Amino acid sequence: MNLISGIDVSASALNAQKTRLDIVAQNIANAQTTRGADGRPYQRQVVSFERELIRRTGEDPISSGGAALQSVRVGSIQSDPTPGQRVYDPQHPDADSAGIVTMPNVNLAYEMVDLITATRAYEANLSVVKNARQMAMKALEIGK
Amino acid sequence: MAPPLLNRVSMIDPIFQSDTYQLARKLLDATALRQEAIASNIANVETPGYRRLDVAPNFATELRAQIAAGARPESLSTLQPSLTEDLRARSVRADGNSVELEKELIEMNRNTVDYEYLTDLVSRNIKQLRVAITGRNY
Amino acid sequence: MSLIGSINGLTPTTITRPNSVLRPDGLAPTMPGLTPQTTALPGSDTTQPGGFGQLLEKLVSTVDTKQAEANQLSRQVLLGQSDQLHQSVIAMQEASVAFSLMVEVRNKLVDSYQELMRMPV
Repeated sequence: MNLISGIDVSASALNAQKTRLDIVAQNIANAQTTRGADGRPYQRQVVSFERELIRRTGEDPISSGGAALQSVRVGSIQSDPTPGQRVYDPQHPDADSAGIVTMPNVNLAYEMVDLITATRAYEANLSVVKNARQMAMKALEIGK
Repeated sequence: MAPPLLNRVSMIDPIFQSDTYQLARKLLDATALRQEAIASNIANVETPGYRRLDVAPNFATELRAQIAAGARPESLSTLQPSLTEDLRARSVRADGNSVELEKELIEMNRNTVDYEYLTDLVSRNIKQLRVAITGRNY
Repeated sequence: MSLIGSINGLTPTTITRPNSVLRPDGLAPTMPGLTPQTTALPGSDTTQPGGFGQLLEKLVSTVDTKQAEANQLSRQVLLGQSDQLHQSVIAMQEASVAFSLMVEVRNKLVDSYQELMRMPV
């Protein structure tokens, strides 16, 4: 039963944005991790979205009502291959023989922008769901 | 002598077919559909190349034309709202995405008020009928 | 006496109405004091335009249509074939109002029959 209009669309988007937020948080938390489990510096993770056609129950999404409803979902989470910054710091425990430490390729400025964008998108989708629920409740009160 | 009862026999349908009532029901369909369009737009605020969706404008023009021509409510049943790409929206990003988040949120608020107004209208009609029939408020 | 006389003077059409009031409830149309024309009436209900029986029949069929429509829309919502919640609610309310109307008409008819029965003749 799909009583709240557009809830599938918003649910998909909410999931996608939440995953993105999680990854951003992970990146920020590991911005200084110069040695991970595999002995190499932390590689920034990037979420890529892909489009998801929302199928109205029992109907072909294209033929009913003209344009199809589409939402987003996480397509893949990949490592950013860009090499990290190389810093000269002989005191660092992970410094190599030349005293150079390779830092993770996490740029805090980019991550903060991503964080704000993802949060904003998440909140916008949340308000869509709240709104749709309010409309459904109002419809249930017709004639009462 | 009183007019034959047969003329007054189908009492219910004319009431439920008053123009305002039928119009409100049709517009409720369109408003619910627009809510889905807005949900889709907000979900795709960052999707590259996504064009904003809205209820097709020919629905409103068709409806207005038919009402102005005095169409009976029965003939309105074939007119259904549908979603299409909003051609008046301009690209706000280099990748062709035409969704402006603030605009969508304002549109959503406006749409919700429309929906509440329409449900109120329909509800009022039904409640009035009920009081007229049973003579009681509940 | 004059009362019976005035009743005797009533036209057949005016008399059939109280008689057809009784038919929907399946009650015997016995109304002592009315003209002998009443005995021919039980079968003429459906041929008389404006009979109450026909009125109730129409009401019942309207209610039936509205209830069927409400059922249909609710079923679609329940099965997930449609997300038009508002149409389902509106149809259910319409059916309920139609049903109320039918019930009220029936109540009034029964009341008027009972009042007629109480009439001293």
